[in-house]
Amino acid sequence: MDVIVEDVTQVWPGRGGASVVALDRFSHRFASRRFSCLLGPSGCGKSTLVQIVGGLETASSGSVRISDPALPGVTRPVGVDSVMVWQNLNLFPWRSVLDNVAFGLEMQGLTKAERHERAKSLIASVGLSGFEGHLPGQLSGGMRQRVALARALILERPIMLMDEPFGALDAQTKIVMQEELLRVFDETHKTILFVTHAIEEAILLGDEVIVMTARPGRIKEVLPVGLPRPRSLEMVNSKAFGALFDRAFHLIREEVMTSMAQQAMALEAK
Amino acid sequence: MTPGKTSFAGIVERAAPALVIVAVLVIWEMFVRLRGIAPIYLPPPSTIAVYLFRMLADGTIEFNLGVTLLRIFAGFAVAAFAGVTLGVLMGMSRIVARIADPWIAALYPLPKIALIPLLVIWLGTGEVYKIVISAITAFFPIVISTYAGIRQTDQGLVKAAQDLGANRRQIQMKIVIPAAIPSIFAGLHLGMGVTVILVVAAEMIGSSSQSGMGFLLIQSGQVMETEKVFASLIVLAVVGALIIKLQEWIDRKVAPWTAYRDEH
Repeated sequence: MDVIVEDVTQVWPGRGGASVVALDRFSHRFASRRFSCLLGPSGCGKSTLVQIVGGLETASSGSVRISDPALPGVTRPVGVDSVMVWQNLNLFPWRSVLDNVAFGLEMQGLTKAERHERAKSLIASVGLSGFEGHLPGQLSGGMRQRVALARALILERPIMLMDEPFGALDAQTKIVMQEELLRVFDETHKTILFVTHAIEEAILLGDEVIVMTARPGRIKEVLPVGLPRPRSLEMVNSKAFGALFDRAFHLIREEVMTSMAQQAMALEAK
Repeated sequence: MTPGKTSFAGIVERAAPALVIVAVLVIWEMFVRLRGIAPIYLPPPSTIAVYLFRMLADGTIEFNLGVTLLRIFAGFAVAAFAGVTLGVLMGMSRIVARIADPWIAALYPLPKIALIPLLVIWLGTGEVYKIVISAITAFFPIVISTYAGIRQTDQGLVKAAQDLGANRRQIQMKIVIPAAIPSIFAGLHLGMGVTVILVVAAEMIGSSSQSGMGFLLIQSGQVMETEKVFASLIVLAVVGALIIKLQEWIDRKVAPWTAYRDEH
């Protein structure tokens, strides 16, 4: 599925009548089966963008079109073909691992036997067999992350929207989860929009890195990542990776400075 | 599990609460006996214990406690059903919330004991009066906590459910209500606490039934049987603690996830 974002602007009502422009005329074509990383300082509207693409927020102006490249010209409604993986996971704390993963199928009205069978095989595929009956609160951060991934994958939607999913993990767990996600991508070739503020992560995972500006969020530059697939962590040491990292770091540095200055001003204004 | 469990300090820490209780009882006993204080003012613990066993042996405690517990559970059941139902409806429908809000705001701060004269005029002094006064009192904390729990649902969970294909009804039944369970339970705990207070108070004030722990207390007090007053108080304290433990046990059985709810 292609995701074509055109002139999307998001304005939040701010304090005292002033309004905050979170996203400013953002346009990009996220091509089908491509892994795109949105890289930017905090507050640049990258999370807002994926929520708009997922149909969970309505943009102030602009449009998002989802279409199958095989059927050009046919636009599908937003939200139907995509699924989110959230920064704070949003697992349902009262549901077991099994019932969290099966949630989407339950909403579709599948019988208990059907949905549990499929949920079990997905739980196995993310390496959590034996934990079906556990509650999310009983699991480690990495295991919870796998539950969230399985809960999204079970719906087999062609677009996956990931909002800093590994932001809260410790460094080692993060590496394991990145490898897990690369495996999923190589197997399923979904269209992935992946929000991050970690440069290394964006380059390691993405086919392209979209560097965003500080608020208001615009595209600063789109960096194509030419690294071959399947990707592996060893590539971090390659020359090509280093060059991409330098380029991205140079671009993002200015924006982070701007963002920090904005935050300082906002604090002073209080 | 703690490293100091078998050490001397660990043993002292674990034994200290019981030792202090024993010490207080011993001091009390000696104080009353040495100073020759009349039992009408302060009976010694040993005498209270004798009375307590006597009252258990002749069935006085069992009967009155049984009657009081029945009233408590009846009042609580009415309040829990009405409170949770209205709280959920208020959380789900803005119109219901707007209509109910001024009533709750006006009636909640009113001390419910002040309603006793009116309720006695309307309902007499029988069982209905005691159940109604306790149910009215318990209703408010339950409805308020339930409504707050429904309103404070984590919007992240709602969005996640919506993204996974839940419709509005599914979001309400599968997300909003379960997410409110900790608040609902908190309301039920408060409600149970005030039900106990109000039932005992109603048994003391203007009750025609001549039964219940409240009646036992007031009757023993009027004839200066201070030993029986103390024995009744001990029974009420123990039963109150048991009710709280029972509620906590039910919470854990019905909603085991609340133990981890801060880290979903």
